[in-house]
Amino acid sequence: MLTGSKTSFKIKQLVPDFKDKTLNFSNTALRSRETSDFKCLPGERVLQRTQPVRKPRAGRGSSLTGALLCTTFRVAFVPEEGIAKMEDRDSVPVFLGEHDVALASIERVVAVSPSRWKVLSARSSLRFHPEELVLFCRDLQVLRFHFEKSSAESAEITSAIARVYQPSVPASLSSFQRSALGSVEVKQYLSNRGADPQMNWFEGLQDWERELARTGATAWRVSSVNDRFEMATSLPKFNVVPQRILDTELKRTFAHFTEGRIPRWCWHHPEGSDLLRAASFQSNIYHEKHDARNLEALLFGRHPQCVIVEVGEDMPPPSEIQAAHSRLQALCLGDIPASLSVSDEKWLSSLEASRWLDHVRSCLRRSAEVSCLLAEGDLAVVLQEAEDRDLNCVVSSLVQIMSDPHCRTLPGFQNLVQKEWVSAGFRFLHRNNYTRDRDKEESPVFLLFLDCVWQLLQQFPSHFEITEVFLLTLHDRAHLPLYSTFLFNCQRERGRNTQHLSQSYTPVNGWQELVNGGLAPGSGGPSFPPVWDWALHCTPERRDSFRNPSNTPLSPGTFSSPRQSSHPASPSLSLQLSDCSGSGPGLLLLFSKGSLGPAPHLLPWRNAGGAASGWKNHRRAPFRDGLPRLERALKGQPLGPRGPLLPLLLGPCLRVWRGCYLRGALQTQVPPPVSSHLHVDFLASEVEHLRGRLALAKGLDRHGNCKRAESRGTNRKPRQETTNHNFLFAGNRGTGCSPERRYTQTPTRGQKHPKLPP
Amino acid sequence: MLSLGSGGGKSTKPSFVSYVTPEDMKIKEKEEGLRSKHPYLLPGEVVFCSANHVLKYTQEDASQRGVYGTLLCTNFKIAFISGESASQETAPPFRNKLLSENDIPLTCVDHIYGVSDEKKKLIIGGQVKSKYPSKLIIQCKDLRVFHFSLTYAKEEEAKKIFQGIVHHSLEPKSLKCVFAFSYCETASTSQASRKSSLTLMFETKEDWSMELGRTKGNCKVSSANEDYAISEKLPQFFVVPFAVSDDDILRFLGKGIPFWCWSHHSGCALFKMACLPTIQEDGISQKYMHRMLDAVTQDQLCPVKIEDLSSCLPALQDLQLSYNKFKQLFLIDSTTEFWVSDMKWFSSLENSGWLEIIRQCLMKAVEIVDYLESAHTSVLIVEEHCSDLCCVLSSLVQIMLDPYYRTRSGFQSLIQKEWVAGGHSFLDRCNHLYQKEKEAPAPVFLLFLECVWQLLQQHAPAFQFSETYLTVLSDSINIPLFSTFLFNSQHHRDTAMKSGHPEAQRSPLNFPSVWDWSLQFDCKAQSLFTNPLYVEKPIQDKALRKTSHQKHQRQLSLPNTLSKPSPRKGFFKEETDNLKKIFLGKRISKWLNPTESSKELYESWQRKPLDYQGLLLPYLDGPAVQVWMQRYLRWVPEAQIFGGGSITTVNRVLELASEIQDLQKEVERRSCRMNSSIAWKQVYSGPPLSARLSSFPFTATHAWSFKPAIPSSIRQGLGSVSSLADKEDDDSQGSGVL
Repeated sequence: MLTGSKTSFKIKQLVPDFKDKTLNFSNTALRSRETSDFKCLPGERVLQRTQPVRKPRAGRGSSLTGALLCTTFRVAFVPEEGIAKMEDRDSVPVFLGEHDVALASIERVVAVSPSRWKVLSARSSLRFHPEELVLFCRDLQVLRFHFEKSSAESAEITSAIARVYQPSVPASLSSFQRSALGSVEVKQYLSNRGADPQMNWFEGLQDWERELARTGATAWRVSSVNDRFEMATSLPKFNVVPQRILDTELKRTFAHFTEGRIPRWCWHHPEGSDLLRAASFQSNIYHEKHDARNLEALLFGRHPQCVIVEVGEDMPPPSEIQAAHSRLQALCLGDIPASLSVSDEKWLSSLEASRWLDHVRSCLRRSAEVSCLLAEGDLAVVLQEAEDRDLNCVVSSLVQIMSDPHCRTLPGFQNLVQKEWVSAGFRFLHRNNYTRDRDKEESPVFLLFLDCVWQLLQQFPSHFEITEVFLLTLHDRAHLPLYSTFLFNCQRERGRNTQHLSQSYTPVNGWQELVNGGLAPGSGGPSFPPVWDWALHCTPERRDSFRNPSNTPLSPGTFSSPRQSSHPASPSLSLQLSDCSGSGPGLLLLFSKGSLGPAPHLLPWRNAGGAASGWKNHRRAPFRDGLPRLERALKGQPLGPRGPLLPLLLGPCLRVWRGCYLRGALQTQVPPPVSSHLHVDFLASEVEHLRGRLALAKGLDRHGNCKRAESRGTNRKPRQETTNHNFLFAGNRGTGCSPERRYTQTPTRGQKHPKLPP
Repeated sequence: MLSLGSGGGKSTKPSFVSYVTPEDMKIKEKEEGLRSKHPYLLPGEVVFCSANHVLKYTQEDASQRGVYGTLLCTNFKIAFISGESASQETAPPFRNKLLSENDIPLTCVDHIYGVSDEKKKLIIGGQVKSKYPSKLIIQCKDLRVFHFSLTYAKEEEAKKIFQGIVHHSLEPKSLKCVFAFSYCETASTSQASRKSSLTLMFETKEDWSMELGRTKGNCKVSSANEDYAISEKLPQFFVVPFAVSDDDILRFLGKGIPFWCWSHHSGCALFKMACLPTIQEDGISQKYMHRMLDAVTQDQLCPVKIEDLSSCLPALQDLQLSYNKFKQLFLIDSTTEFWVSDMKWFSSLENSGWLEIIRQCLMKAVEIVDYLESAHTSVLIVEEHCSDLCCVLSSLVQIMLDPYYRTRSGFQSLIQKEWVAGGHSFLDRCNHLYQKEKEAPAPVFLLFLECVWQLLQQHAPAFQFSETYLTVLSDSINIPLFSTFLFNSQHHRDTAMKSGHPEAQRSPLNFPSVWDWSLQFDCKAQSLFTNPLYVEKPIQDKALRKTSHQKHQRQLSLPNTLSKPSPRKGFFKEETDNLKKIFLGKRISKWLNPTESSKELYESWQRKPLDYQGLLLPYLDGPAVQVWMQRYLRWVPEAQIFGGGSITTVNRVLELASEIQDLQKEVERRSCRMNSSIAWKQVYSGPPLSARLSSFPFTATHAWSFKPAIPSSIRQGLGSVSSLADKEDDDSQGSGVL
């Protein structure tokens, strides 16, 4: 009923030109109630509308009153008091407002009246007038709307929502996408949006080179052998490999790894180590001597030692992650609509039984171990997983977050996800299972990663620029099938759909026939924006709270300056292998079960002949030299500000991400997650304000050249009895995460003190 | 009068020269330094015995690393004086003046284990031991664990110190032996009559009248028990309803009388009452009870609800049991156990039941709040002696309802009112005297602090004091110096202080109160007690909050039509009507709120904008009740986040606050006219806190853990490489500035 309806009404809309923002509902049924407070997307149609509806605020405080709309794209709630604010059109995100929920993220619709409740599906009919509408979302949110008067109108909109949300049909997914992104205007608008200059998309050759330069890695080069995805379909076009391997040699190595996912460079530690990731070895293949040499060159880079980390070992398989997540979900949301399925007394043990935190712990542990190894300098650490497409993504990105402060900044984090997930070929589409037809492959690996990052964030709040709000927003958006970031399994698939966004590459026509069914957009299909274009779907207030004000700005000296030479400064480790770059095999270690060991049999080509034993004998001495140092690295002390952030993994130190998992069940009980952070924010803005005034005063008043820094150092007498002023926080409370008050307040304060006396 | 210092002259000739090891050589070198170090003794403190060359392990595992020094036992504490005093130069900003880092007050000792021949044995007082163990493990009530090795000490000294420690800390003793007595004899003149000005002590009639006046209570102060004429359990002055006569009070010796605790602004009030002795024949006591209830209801003006605590809250023994189990989770002997316990952490936490008890108490308190706040019903809490859980509940209710008790002075007054004057048997419950036959010890006061902490961490801006304050307060219970926590009742204290003095003609002893914080901490450390984010009571005449703040200031409780006509009554009425309509009948939102009984209270509370000066309700669902990490995990090095933890956020707030202050001063200097609206409290003066650890301020310097940074229960141990590691540590420590 929705598809193809575009023609039935006129579109005169905002996008791509924001100047014309008048709204024009062509639907005659709605014309009488036309208001200017809600603007549709060009492809979107309002199906039902009711007013007034009350929405309890997240956190505390009185509920909002406003209008509830159901469109072909979303369920929108337009608060009354928000109308005035809407004047400032530029602040309104294009796709989803703060109170909107996209149809595709709704999981269940429940209508409630005082005496009964009902879970609604498309075909079920509603025989009572609901007083309350509860929407359960896939991202664990629960939205509740109270109808002021339960009437036929409330029943209408409830069943309208139930009709259109249709969770599990692929067709409804594409119609949903089309209603949001399918119109010519949106397409045009999106294609005109400039990319964020701070983003590194890891699509082109220069992107990788930028990263190499940033980390200071020297012995590596970007290879374009996979330019046409001929070598490995799931790998990106450009891969970073050791400099001394020629493309012709490189081509021969793909066959030795599952899906052709050869060891590729991910990150360079300033101490000299390199992080690589690879899929497991292809076992049933004959290894020529020539190949073996290339393979080892690929693994070792220019390092004398190589540690292979079996990432999958002792780690949950994707199916178990999925099971744990659904247990957690059941625990947090309860069986709808019964009460919290577990009683409070049993909550903790049920949490334990869900094993979600165990999985978080094992990911963090493995990553911390790898971070410690890397900090030792001069080795190549190869993360190896059977397919290199799940936990490798988690571990390699966590390692970088722990070790590289850049990855804890907002652009850095986005780049990291782009590098280790999007371009590395994490199967977002299958793992997210938007169409609900791949239940076996569904697994919230990405959400597990976000949880791990959150754990780090709450243990080291001052080391992160990103905030919980950012992680939460990313978490929610990952459930929306609208973003190129999350809709594809690998760069090849993505490239076919978002050609105009990644101009660097035009797909070869021949690939068109490989298009798969569900999401085949063809030339006329919607084009998906990346999730990182936050202005599209987040309010500026929300975007502002992505950055942590308490994060001390990164001084360039802390980390990002790599060692001048990439050679490690530790002579104790300089084994007699320095010229292993030639033909001789380097020292290969296997990291397994928390300890390092020699791994002569690890490489399938090494145990082929009698040479292996000779090699073992030959290498014994350096092995003994190198091992204790690495062992010690693993037992490593916290290394201070320069070392990696090593999370605490004790029982009491890992926590439930309440702001995420529990916001649905306890929506009214969880205090807004950002309360303390807002305080800091508030103080910071106060400092800014005062500084501004001071600067103004300075301008007027020449003789007093104040030095703030000096005055800080001078003696401050404690004024114990002076009253603490509530002014700063008074405006803050109640509103939960509504920073808009903050924005309105600062100017008024400015008006109060308009001028400083000269 | 003090015995001179630690070493004495005895230790000059070590008797074990025959088997000199490099370590021993080191000891000898240090001896010179050692002997010159006198322990820091308080007035009245006497050293009983001491032993040199005691090794204090810095790490409780096989690594055997440690510091040599002298172990002393005085009449106040067990002290360890390290020979290596070099580390003292970085004095932590948060130092207790009475105790240094390695001091254990005798009353703080929880358990002592002796290890001999690799076997760990609990040591029980009372048995005379001729043998002494080679290793001593002392577990403290504040959850520190000390490991001392007596192997290198002289046999005689070691035996003596072991017996001394066991005797003085584990065996029953009389109240007179408590250190406070000898302390006050010597120090009383200097410390006398220093009163913390803002804290009401509730020892005089005026204090009670003031409190009555503040809450507009409709009761009278009774002085029937002046000079403890009626009961020794009762305070000299207390507040009862008008209708209760002195005869009534005399009738059952103070039992069965409703004592006033607090009045709600609606006119209803909170009372507590001890059970009547059951031996009385029914007629008399029933009639009596009726009269008392009438007195409470002020002749049926105000309905009353009776809460009998014995039926709905756990018994004291269960409390103790559960706390012991809970405590065990944090007293880790060998930290390897800790790694293994990770997987079972949540279920063992749950099994201890401690969090559940906290939840029950809070839930009960919420129920009482519900009666007072929404039903405007007076509540009468009944308990056997009305001095245990009764105190917990009445204080919690008052904290939730009255913002005054969330200030520091208010909180201290509350403890004086409900606990000290209320006759909580601190001495018996803390079991400072080890008198086994007495009533069961139970951490009742700690339970109360735990509940307050839950409130504090859920609504931090509502409290003037910080988490650190609560932690320090919970530690102070175990310092046998403060009159607040040493006695079972006011009468007990008064008699003890009078008769305790050998020369009766002199004025009674004046024990310091715990509220005299300057005794323990200097100003700078005390500044950590205040919450920098406290939202203070709005000052009415400011022009600032003319606009949007009007709404926020509305009383949270339903409007009391008599005293406070709401300016926007129409709107309010409409709102409540809507609320009523919405919440009629059975609702799906049932699962949102686990506490069925006070669901509506919660719901209406949550509709209102958050007002930190209004009613506070705790969140009670499973995930909301948490572990007081600062108190329980502060000594566990493995649980300390280097350069992390929420303290860094607090730090940042303090920094910004002080920056604002400076900027404001600057602005003020330039323009003295426009500034008056903003005045920041000096929250912390001095250099920025060097909080490098999440357990700040308790362990400011990192006891470097020699455990793997990443726990792995299945790790295969390889040879020790600690010496190499040390070298590296020093390097990283040097640069380890946040």
